[in-house]
Amino acid sequence: MIISICSKKEGMDSLVDERFGRSENFTIIDLDTGDFKTVENTGKNEASGAGGNAVKLLASHKVDVAIVPHLGPKAEIAMEGFEIKTVSQGDYKTVGELLEAYKAGKLEVITKKKGLTRV
Amino acid sequence: MKINEIVVISGKGGTGKTTLTASIIPYLEDLVVGDCDVDAPDLDILLDPKIQTTEKFIGLKKAIIHKEKCTNCGLCHTHCKFSAISEDIVLTTSKCEGCGVCEFVCPSEAITMEDAVVGDLYHSTTTFGDFIHAKLIPGEETSGKLVAEVRKRAKKLALEKDKKNIIVDGSPGIACNVISSITGASKVILVTEPTFSGIHDLKRIYELCQKFNLKTQVVINKYDLSPTHSELIEEFCRENSIPIGLKIPFTKKIVQSVVKKKIPSLEEKEFFKEIGFFDFINTLT
Amino acid sequence: MKIAILSGKGGTGKTTVTSNFAINIENSIAIDSDVEEPNLHLFLGGQKTDTESVFTSYPTIDKDLCTNCGKCGDFCNYNAIIPAKNQVIVFKESCHDCGGCKLVCPTGAITYEKREIGKIIKDKTSFGGDLFYGILDIGEMSGVKIINNLTEISNSYSSNKTVFIDSPPGTSCSTVAAVEEVDYAIIVSEPTPFGVSDMKMVVDMLQEMKIPFGIIINKAGLGDNEIYEYCKDKKVEILGEIPFDKEIAKLYADGKIFSSSLPKYQKLFKDIYKKIVDRRRAL
Repeated sequence: MIISICSKKEGMDSLVDERFGRSENFTIIDLDTGDFKTVENTGKNEASGAGGNAVKLLASHKVDVAIVPHLGPKAEIAMEGFEIKTVSQGDYKTVGELLEAYKAGKLEVITKKKGLTRV
Repeated sequence: MKINEIVVISGKGGTGKTTLTASIIPYLEDLVVGDCDVDAPDLDILLDPKIQTTEKFIGLKKAIIHKEKCTNCGLCHTHCKFSAISEDIVLTTSKCEGCGVCEFVCPSEAITMEDAVVGDLYHSTTTFGDFIHAKLIPGEETSGKLVAEVRKRAKKLALEKDKKNIIVDGSPGIACNVISSITGASKVILVTEPTFSGIHDLKRIYELCQKFNLKTQVVINKYDLSPTHSELIEEFCRENSIPIGLKIPFTKKIVQSVVKKKIPSLEEKEFFKEIGFFDFINTLT
Repeated sequence: MKIAILSGKGGTGKTTVTSNFAINIENSIAIDSDVEEPNLHLFLGGQKTDTESVFTSYPTIDKDLCTNCGKCGDFCNYNAIIPAKNQVIVFKESCHDCGGCKLVCPTGAITYEKREIGKIIKDKTSFGGDLFYGILDIGEMSGVKIINNLTEISNSYSSNKTVFIDSPPGTSCSTVAAVEEVDYAIIVSEPTPFGVSDMKMVVDMLQEMKIPFGIIINKAGLGDNEIYEYCKDKKVEILGEIPFDKEIAKLYADGKIFSSSLPKYQKLFKDIYKKIVDRRRAL
């Protein structure tokens, strides 16, 4: 299973980024092998639609579960379209801490809000 | 750490957003300030900022026509939905929305889409904290993006320097630049005035805030200029359960402070105390 | 002749000035291009005589023809169209209606549907004249399309009527769209630091656009002399002044056009108009 975490820099000590669409980077972790990599969020400076673009990026890296802060409506719709599950990142400071919290089942799954069909 | 981001907007222009924002600033601790009115930034007039860095800001791409390769086939002119390319293949840059269709249809590679500078972004320091502000080149379209960047930088600074609060001066209107200022804000303050047009515009901006599920409160500025209209605003707020944070009476003292380029709440502390301004400040953090 | 009224800073009195011109100048029509927060119709009153929707388009995808090649998503510079797992997601409000996705689609799977972004309303005002105003739907990103439609309307009248155009505040793309190709621009400012600062930006913009302009100082007496010094220095013509007057403020608050209740001010607007006509003739 592949998960993603919004991160400011590289590595497990990096701080978690508090925004999704304009997050600096994404740390992508393969839970089965333990491997991870940092991918730059190339769309972070887009004029608009950064959220949708970020989801596209995660999908291209085959992310199954994205650990995220509050998502805008476009990002939510895009996550659904790409069938990526979303989990709330809470207040954890570093990527490493957040990863452990996820593995320990401490994070809340984000359920779809009603009435958000814009397509 | 969840940062407390307060955004001040109005819908209608001229109700007193910037004056109010500036008056709040000295009384919030741990603060980073942002001016998101990138079309007509004014907060700097009252804050006496010292600019530390200036950055050219790149917006959407713009088309560049390389005349030497152009065969005058006219395809770019007929395909451009924004009338940015004339019949004699001259580009009006301000109309170009950076879609890339002209580049796509050109058979001779005479058009390329290139990054365009649309404004300047500043990081300044002030007595009250770091200040992020910007100025968009007149006519440019990407105010939403520049606004988002101002907020992003302000948030970044707040996290780096462990500041709990951000206050943002917004712009008038209800379109992309305003939308970009308010999404995800912790608190939104709507500054209104007791006039026929003021109420009309308040209802529209409030509707926008509701669309984004934002915690909103109203400040009625110059409320004593028309008690009738002030009451109408209060009624509207009651009906919609919108808290009224503050009612400010009109006083020439405030204008005089601004004319002297001084922050009114520092110059006229007594007046502000009397109207309950400091109780209002306490509700913001 | 088309005359735009703009300001830089919001709340300086554009709508006040436009409405006063509209009722005092014969053979004129009024246009409100401040489509985000239109107010002119509140002052001119009257009856709606026509409403037209303004549309933009967005792509829809024929699932049978779509091969999920992703070209539309790669092309779009606004992230408005995103090919996902088993569907193509379209964010309608992000679409700039450029037509690009349809051009790049290899299978003709994309067609466009219309959606409303706002309206243009025609009023017969309570003063007998015509008013056209635009109104942008809440949540929409930009009113420029509506403003461009209003420009076409003002063009159709400008050869035999004077068209007064109430413009949006600031110097954004909306303001530029509203004042494009006008014959003359009136900047309404107030003698305060914010007023002057924002006015300077509008002056730069108008000079860049090569539109002749003059200034009306509203709420004269409220602030200081910086604005007069600036105008003298830059040789910018002050067409006239409206004093800071509680009576005027009260009439405004009540949605009334002040020269209609205070006839002594009618001459002010007629005189300013005459000055503008003379300036235009001289050019």
